[in-house]
Amino acid sequence: MKSQYNLAAVLSAVVLVSCGALMLSQKVSAAGEGKITGTVKIDGAAPHMRGIDMSKDPYCVKANSGSAPHMETYVVGKDNGLQYAVLSLDGWSGQANVVTTEPTFDQKNCMYTPHVLGLDVTQTFKVTTSDQTAHNIHPLPNPMINVGWNQSQPPGAPAIEKSWKNPEVIPVQCNIHPWMHGFFVVVKGPVAVSGEDGSFTIENVPPGSYTVKAWHEPDETQTQKVTVAAGSAATANFTFKAK
Amino acid sequence: MHVFSRSSLRKVVHSAVSLLLAALFLLPVVLTCSQPANAIPAFARKYGLRCSACHESWPILNNFGLKFRDNGYQIMNDRDAPIWQNPGYWPVTFRITPIWHRFSNLQAVDTYTGVTPATPYGGSAIERISSSGFDLSGLDFHTGGTLYNNISFYALPSSDSTGAFHFETVMVRFDNLLHSTWLNIKMGKFELNNLLSEKRMVGLTGDGGEYQTYHFIPVGDGNMFGQMGDNQLGLEYMGHSVNDRTRVSASLLSSQDGNVGLTLGANSYSGFFTFDQAIDAGKWDVQRIGGYAFVGDAATYFKTSGGVPIPGSGIGNKSFSREGVIAQFYFGQHFDVNFVTQHGQDNAWFGQGYGNAVSTDGDGGVTCTTPTAVGGCPPNNTPGTVLPTTARAPSWNGYTIEGRYIYSPQLIFIGRYEGERMSQQATVGTPSSLGNINMEDAIIRWNPFMTNRAGLALQGEYTLFHQVGTGPTVGATTANQNENELLFALDFDF
Amino acid sequence: MRTGLRKWSLALGAAAFFALPLISHAQLTTLDIASRNSMESHVGGYTGHVHDAAYDYRRYCVGCHGDMGDGDGEVAQWLLPPMWPKPRNFQLGVFKCRSTPTGTLPTDDDLYDTIARGMDRSAMPVWSQFTRYQRNNLVAYVKHFSPRFATEKPGTPITIPPEPEVTPERIKAGQEVFARVQCWKCHGVQGMANGPSASTLTDDLGAPIAPFNFTDGTRPKCGDTDRDIYRIFMTGLDGTPMPSFADNIKPDEAWDLVFYLRTFMQQPSKAKEIAKKMDLKPVNPNP
Repeated sequence: MKSQYNLAAVLSAVVLVSCGALMLSQKVSAAGEGKITGTVKIDGAAPHMRGIDMSKDPYCVKANSGSAPHMETYVVGKDNGLQYAVLSLDGWSGQANVVTTEPTFDQKNCMYTPHVLGLDVTQTFKVTTSDQTAHNIHPLPNPMINVGWNQSQPPGAPAIEKSWKNPEVIPVQCNIHPWMHGFFVVVKGPVAVSGEDGSFTIENVPPGSYTVKAWHEPDETQTQKVTVAAGSAATANFTFKAK
Repeated sequence: MHVFSRSSLRKVVHSAVSLLLAALFLLPVVLTCSQPANAIPAFARKYGLRCSACHESWPILNNFGLKFRDNGYQIMNDRDAPIWQNPGYWPVTFRITPIWHRFSNLQAVDTYTGVTPATPYGGSAIERISSSGFDLSGLDFHTGGTLYNNISFYALPSSDSTGAFHFETVMVRFDNLLHSTWLNIKMGKFELNNLLSEKRMVGLTGDGGEYQTYHFIPVGDGNMFGQMGDNQLGLEYMGHSVNDRTRVSASLLSSQDGNVGLTLGANSYSGFFTFDQAIDAGKWDVQRIGGYAFVGDAATYFKTSGGVPIPGSGIGNKSFSREGVIAQFYFGQHFDVNFVTQHGQDNAWFGQGYGNAVSTDGDGGVTCTTPTAVGGCPPNNTPGTVLPTTARAPSWNGYTIEGRYIYSPQLIFIGRYEGERMSQQATVGTPSSLGNINMEDAIIRWNPFMTNRAGLALQGEYTLFHQVGTGPTVGATTANQNENELLFALDFDF
Repeated sequence: MRTGLRKWSLALGAAAFFALPLISHAQLTTLDIASRNSMESHVGGYTGHVHDAAYDYRRYCVGCHGDMGDGDGEVAQWLLPPMWPKPRNFQLGVFKCRSTPTGTLPTDDDLYDTIARGMDRSAMPVWSQFTRYQRNNLVAYVKHFSPRFATEKPGTPITIPPEPEVTPERIKAGQEVFARVQCWKCHGVQGMANGPSASTLTDDLGAPIAPFNFTDGTRPKCGDTDRDIYRIFMTGLDGTPMPSFADNIKPDEAWDLVFYLRTFMQQPSKAKEIAKKMDLKPVNPNP
């Protein structure tokens, strides 16, 4: 009897300790983790974005009757803030999938929302449609790096859950509506996408020195070195020139 | 006394043999530097396939090429009709071959007794005459393909080496009637559906350029109609399974050996029937076995007007037949052997020389200036003529064996043996072996390159031909014919 | 010694860093392809081997598909899309005619069938004369060009329920599917490939491509039986704009759609006969 109790006690102790250690380690990392914030701007005047002729699909025309749709190559907000730049940490060697959110890539009013999705490798994301016209979601990775697919999303279609194995900038298109362009930017490690005003925050960055990489379409990359202290925020600002 | 001394003859042979050996030694060097083969006269140009896709070694067809032809020169991809081709595409290929050859045979040569012009000749003796030099083959203009979806055509004006043209092939074919591969009808002058087709021979020498088995007739026989190797005029039904494993054909032909103008073949018809089945032998590729029969009748005499045969008036039709087995055995991808057998029989009238109304001036017409002169015109079966009691229906058995070693689609070695054996002579008392043939042919053919638009082959060939009792006659002795030919050719097509 | 090693590994690392993107964007090298020389194929009880296909590949395939299987043979420059699709680049491991879901590799049987069937309306001939032995070997040869076949298993073939009887109700239901998932956007309301989006379609490599015209008497690319048509829209034609509708069409509805599509096609079918008496009107694109 005593030996049985002993065993039980030892086992539960082990379990408690390991759980605690796990929690503690998380707490430790959460407490120690810092972030990198900054703003991405565009140099000079915002380039003129062509309007889109959506007459191929009367539904799209009607859905956009409130505001004329434009190409989204450069989306510039106030104070020349550049949206849809993707910020990541070059040469990240930590564990993958530090984020647990499942972002959504939506087809709305015959445009992709958001225009660019920043993803960690193997991070799952959802593709949805809010439109009453059929789309097909067709990412075009390099087949040597990631495996592409092509699925229909007619009105009312259920969400599609997917993920990408390897880092890559993956263009995504709809064959039915050829003006629809977006990107899945897959990186290793924490990732952020700049907002309307160009600001971004890369969360969950353990203390250390990093090279922050900023990417913007069609194919521009800039880097900056920062050092993140425990629990604090480092800053990195970027300026892109319009092509 | 001989025209050519023995030692000079030996020198010629020696130099020829050493030339051949030199070529053989050069082969390994050449093989390692050979360009990739990409070939495209006419069909290849249309579909973007290399020559080797359809041809074992041009012009021999492989199974894919055979299927392409049986489908009416169509790949069956719904893009065969000419409307889908670039307007600049024109389905023409021409082929001609400059050669060097040395031909040698036995002839009865006059012997000189004196120098006085009045009596220069004392008699004749059998001698071997050899002649060599550079020469040309004839020119072939090939044009063929589709006129429309499932309507195909082929036209082949062909000239001899002097530039005199005739039509080798002119045909239109309705393919896949009622959407079935079993219903194809062809009309015109065309290549017979022989698996081992003479029109696809690689051999270029005078003897090598035809299959003895397809042309053999007994000595003195007048039937020149049952010539399986030549293109014939008529109507052909052909059917095949979708993947071309089973093939049948039945043709109705005019018995005129492809000659035009209704001069000879009017009022007489033959039928040519074939069947073959291919078996998937796994690692050993596809094996094909089949049979053929050529049966028909042809005129043995012509009505005359003032002693001159009237064209198209042939009557007194007598029958003839040829039948046999044909097999293609593939031993893996590099070696195959083709067999053709034949049992042939001609009516006794043909055996006695009746029927062949080709005039002595060789143009295929039936003009005859001295109808009664011996040797001036062939015998005519006039009313009241009876066959001698010693006349028999001649029959014979023949076989062809052709083996091919395909080192690569660019280099092929071919060896052929043919034997024809009389089993019954046309006249009792004739020596039983009269007319028997043995022939051998050896070929090396190498394509150094085939560009996107043309093909070129270097060919070396040696042929030996023996026939009993058809050599020169001196006095009471008739020698056996014994010919050989050595040939080097540059065979090109564009 | 130590510093030398460090320098060397640094140099190697730098080289790898620069080389990696180059390798991934450029074509594979002969060495890399040769590493898969032991690839096999298994169809119909035969095993195919890469080595045994080399001769046939050179004779029949290399003109279009190229020595390295990258679709860049000497003839490829004359094949101009959309009339003449470019030859398949086997190195990418992306194939149109599969029984497996989009984004997955085809089975050996899929490749085997494609070789014998050819590709209608393209320069890919009907190679039905090959023996089973030759075809198995060629499947192994096709596979060995792509690294994916070494690391990934083929997808699981989709389940196709048994084909039901054609009825007017099913054809009508099929028309409703056609309208709901909006096939007509590319294929046109009468299947004539003249939908509003047809003219701007491009394939994965950016070349123009045309949707299938059901009405012109030609055959669908992946076979012309009902099952083959079922498979096309339930697995998609990878590498082209044609997506997989597996998430949006239920298996039973899929048969209805097959029957409706048959009514567009010239080939005789039960569905066509029934549809003649039905007086079907084309779907309305703007309800």
